[in-house]
Amino acid sequence: MAAYIARRLVQAAGVVLAVVTLVFALIHLAPGDPIYALAGESGNAAYYAEMRAHFGLDRPLPEQFLIYVSDVLRGDFGRSYVQKQPVMQVILARVPATALLLFTALTLASALGIFVGVEAGRRPGSLVDIGIRIGTLLAFCAPAFWMGQLLLLLFGARLGWFPIQGMVTARGGYHGFAYVLDVARHLVLPAVTLGLLQIALIARLTRAGVRESLAEDYVRTAGAKGLGAGAVIYRHALPNALLPVVTVVGGHVGSFITGAVLTEIVFAWPGLGRLLYDATLSRDYPLLMAMFELATVFVVVANLVTDLIYAALDPRVRYR
Amino acid sequence: MIRLGNVRREALLLLTAAVVACAPAAQMGATPGPSTPSGQPTAGGTAPQVPAAQALVPKRGGKLVIATGSDPGQLNPGLTTVSGVHLVADNMFNGLIQFDQKLDPQPNLAERWQVAPDGKSYTFFLRKGVKWHDGQPFTAADVKFTFEEVLLKYHSRTKAGLENVLAGIDTPDETTVLFRFKEPYAPLLRRLDVVEAPILPRHVYAGKDIQTNDANLKPIGTGPFKFAEYVKGDRIRMVRNPDYFKPGLPYLDEVIFRIIPQNTTALLALEQGEVDYASDVPGPEIARLQSSKAVSLVKAPAGPGGSFCIDQMFFNLSRPPLDKLEVRQAFAYGINRQQVLDQVRFGQGRIATGPIASTMGWAYNPNVTKYEFSVAKAKEALAKAGVSNLAVTFVQATAFQRIAEVVKQNMAEVGVKVELKTLDVTAANEQMFVRKDFDLGIGSYCGGPDPEVGVTRAYVSSNIGPIVFSNGAGYRNTRVDELFAQGASTVDQAQRTRLYGEIQDQLTKDLPYWWLTETELFRIHRAEIHDLRVWAGDLAERAWTEKS
Repeated sequence: MAAYIARRLVQAAGVVLAVVTLVFALIHLAPGDPIYALAGESGNAAYYAEMRAHFGLDRPLPEQFLIYVSDVLRGDFGRSYVQKQPVMQVILARVPATALLLFTALTLASALGIFVGVEAGRRPGSLVDIGIRIGTLLAFCAPAFWMGQLLLLLFGARLGWFPIQGMVTARGGYHGFAYVLDVARHLVLPAVTLGLLQIALIARLTRAGVRESLAEDYVRTAGAKGLGAGAVIYRHALPNALLPVVTVVGGHVGSFITGAVLTEIVFAWPGLGRLLYDATLSRDYPLLMAMFELATVFVVVANLVTDLIYAALDPRVRYR
Repeated sequence: MIRLGNVRREALLLLTAAVVACAPAAQMGATPGPSTPSGQPTAGGTAPQVPAAQALVPKRGGKLVIATGSDPGQLNPGLTTVSGVHLVADNMFNGLIQFDQKLDPQPNLAERWQVAPDGKSYTFFLRKGVKWHDGQPFTAADVKFTFEEVLLKYHSRTKAGLENVLAGIDTPDETTVLFRFKEPYAPLLRRLDVVEAPILPRHVYAGKDIQTNDANLKPIGTGPFKFAEYVKGDRIRMVRNPDYFKPGLPYLDEVIFRIIPQNTTALLALEQGEVDYASDVPGPEIARLQSSKAVSLVKAPAGPGGSFCIDQMFFNLSRPPLDKLEVRQAFAYGINRQQVLDQVRFGQGRIATGPIASTMGWAYNPNVTKYEFSVAKAKEALAKAGVSNLAVTFVQATAFQRIAEVVKQNMAEVGVKVELKTLDVTAANEQMFVRKDFDLGIGSYCGGPDPEVGVTRAYVSSNIGPIVFSNGAGYRNTRVDELFAQGASTVDQAQRTRLYGEIQDQLTKDLPYWWLTETELFRIHRAEIHDLRVWAGDLAERAWTEKS
């Protein structure tokens, strides 16, 4: 197992380095110069030259890359061109909001997705099953920003059950438990929007797994020895049915992050999403690089953990 | 082997669904967010509407929530021209002057001023007893420091405008500032409001790196509101400055800027009462909102993002056959600008007649060569030029994509094939102004409070790239160059009116650009809010709310 982990760690480091190189090249070679974005409507040749020298953009690209990598290895991710602050400071200020949203959405998706999947899987072909299958397919197809707007119009504007935007009420004035409640009310619509796609994914995979498990001999045995239907499904059939769910959901972390970016923009959620969009438009290289690195590490680690869990659950995987 | 039969099928089905779902997602994802990054139109139009409620007696207290499309990132307005920074930060600072509704300069930090008869020096007498938010006194040294160390280095518009004409800034005493120029310089007063020249505290910035100073996140100004907190990505909160130098102002206890990226979300929030003001109204909603009693729509000719803006196409004059006047006339006749105004701008603005917006009263000349929409005349012009089967590439930023589609459709009627190349704003600007790889380009040129500030740059031969929003067409006319130079150095207003009038006449004959529409975007606020200075940087200085 130790050798397996070591091998996977080396592979992960390689992936991160490759992505950093690729992203650096893509960002710098893409059309659009940060200096023109920075100067906005006006500027002159002297201003461009000064700014380019100020940010080190006047050096050859390979040299810029080496400087960048050596800075990053020393823990210096640079300063944002636009915000003038150290990029890690800028990013870390946004992480809690995004983490709260992702965590809530994933918890919601796991609980609801598994429940719905089991309910559909235990009665294949029934009206409930057909309804769930159609519903999940639609939920999976709907882009997050579109679904978000629909939920906003219905539950925010028409019914007025939830606030339209933000993480806390702008006028403020909430403290202690009232503050927690305020955040919770703001969290509902974005978490549901982001979670819907995952609910659909988890539900469909669970449904398929449960159907398959229910046909297995050991499940029939469990039923034959007199266990109730609930116990048969949740204690015996479900654990095996969840194995592939773990793998697929783990591999889906990247698209989950993409969904979070769009959701955050629709609901004005103060996380990393809008930061990424703005940094792209303004070609804020240091900020963009750091965010791509963060996302890459996150996805690589998520996949690594998924594989390790899988290896722990299924010994055959380790020896391949 | 683990049996994955059903699971595989599910995965395949979902993958197919994802491909189908993601196709439109990718397209729409390319243009989310507001269409007003820096340099894009955020203002235009007619004289500001005077709210009927202005006769009401202002009430003290209350909080005002303002929606803003982008996180400013930092709050030092002297470092940048980005409208997202100015919308927020300008409420904590002051300029030497302040614009009234007609955009005429009024006293602010400067109590009064004298212009030397030769137009080469301006003396400003500063208001006494003004204090910075930290209690330190405001003096002439702050003004000199702000210009020399900040604005002339980092504020790209003020730097471009003043660095070559300014001879020096003197401070004969603590409350007097003297600006000396190499040549007579007419537009100075219009460059001194808080958007163009916010005054910063010398004692906070001197001797430290201006760009990384902590005060850029916790600003100290002289303005009506004091900084309270900045939650990145979420809000900036400021509170009343009890020692503000204008007695009785401001009225509001707090102003909160809420960062809401999508204008549709901001509008919903406004209608629900979560926010009170938004400067970007989604076009399709305008008709519905105009009949609403809960909200008021207002127009403003100016604002922190730019003033007197005109959406104008430009022809790459170095590429035949666009160097032929008749070919350019074919575009002028062939493009249905009413359609652009109705279908793309949703009626926000009016058809332009030339390079200076009709709302800039004193400088505007209505008697210029005009080109009415006529497919027949367009075809005739092309025939006269001897050009057939013309195909051109039209480079534009995403914000102008829908205008470009109208142009493409219109010109197809005339028999001209227009190929669209849509890029994000930074890449588009680079392609048009720096690499000059285009046949047709388009941009929103904001004329600024004076033609010298924002109009000149697009037409003088000394400003043909590689500078963003420069003379994109590559137009050269020595007579026009001469007229602009005279316009800048003439102090007499009537004389300037004549000079800019002749410029407009000549440009509409030469057609290096085709001026589509004067943009006049709406701002929206809750009906209970009054006296917002929507045309200026210091938006909330006199604002008040019926609720508290």
